[in-house]
Formats: sequence, structure tokens, C-alpha cells
Amino acid sequence: MIFSLGNKFKKTFTVTEDVYRGFISVFKDTNPLHTNDQFALSKGFNGRVMHGNILNGFLSYFIGECLPVKNVIIHTQDIQYKNAVYLNDVLAFEATVADIYETVNALVFKFNFKNAELKVVAKGQIQIGLLR
Amino acid sequence: MEKSEILKTVNDIFIDVLDNEDIHLTYETTANDVEDWDSLNHIQLVVAIEKQFKVRFTAQEIQSWSNVGQMLDCIISKGV
Repeated sequence: MIFSLGNKFKKTFTVTEDVYRGFISVFKDTNPLHTNDQFALSKGFNGRVMHGNILNGFLSYFIGECLPVKNVIIHTQDIQYKNAVYLNDVLAFEATVADIYETVNALVFKFNFKNAELKVVAKGQIQIGLLR
Repeated sequence: MEKSEILKTVNDIFIDVLDNEDIHLTYETTANDVEDWDSLNHIQLVVAIEKQFKVRFTAQEIQSWSNVGQMLDCIISKGV
């Protein structure tokens, strides 16, 4: 097993206009919370709220592209959204190896995303397998 | 824990992981008897069982199981 308990990985992600527009273009979620500043302001947010599942895209990128191995597959994941993410937010992502199931080549990362104010905007865990 | 109690817990894990309420495991049940008990789901089952009972199996142990009863015996052998 190439990973050890407590291994940490860090990455910075930015919710750029391209990411935001791309998400809407692909998934067609144009709910006013995500597309209408006035609507979002009226609901107590600071502006259009970025789709929570954009963060799952970043998570996918982390697993697929940022680990020291490529033979990976996501088994399960869960994520809790704690604070809104806005356009152009720069998010600090950190993942820690929290559990290892060596005999079946699986491991669990606990992760979180923090915004520039160091507030956790989302956290969760993801279990991946290392393909033999 | 009694073996029957472990069987019930393992049965609940199978229902959850395989998303099939109709699963009724017995000591003699094998992978061939349970729909969707394939290699990927097997990993999920092992992980869920290890988590639930706070045990770790060796590869040799897992390979030695030919039915659910042997899996339960292995769990019991770890002091559950």
C-alpha cells in the first residue's frame, strides 16, 4: 500500500467563470439561487451561490489526477455543505488518509474545502479503491 | 456476540451494500447465491464488515471463505 494513515494532500481550486458556466452548460441547473444575484441576496446570501456539486468535480479531479497513482476508482463519497461558495472563490482543499483496508486495496480520505476566510465550506469523506 | 446475531448484522450490511431487501443469508450461502455479489461489491462488503465489527481480515482469510458461515467464524475468531 503506497498510502499510510495520516498522509495529507493539499490543493487549491478556484471556482472560475469557466467552471461555473461549464457546469451549467453540462447539467442545465439554472435555479435562480445559482443564476440570479437578486434572488440569492433576497435569501440571505452574498450573491449567486455556486452549485455544491462543482466541489464534487474538484474532488473527482483530486482523486483522478492528484494522487501519486492512477489506478484509482471511487467507491463511495459523502459531502456536507457548510457555507456558500461564490464565483471566483479560491478554495483550499485538504484530504487526509483516515482509514486503510489493505486486504481489499481500499482507503478512505477525510477532506475539507476552506474559503479565503478559512471557513469550511464543505467536508466529507471518500472511499477509493486501488485497482490491481 | 452469538453467531446468529453476527449473521443478522452481516445480513443487514448485505442488504445495505447490495441495495436488496430480499437478501436472507444463511451459513451455507455463497457468492453464487446472491445477486450482485461481484468483485467490486465484495470490496464494499468487506470494508463495511471490517468497519462494523472493528476488525481487519488478512487476504488469506478472505480467500479461505467458501460460504457465509466461514466468514462469520472468521469474525468470531477475532473476538467479536
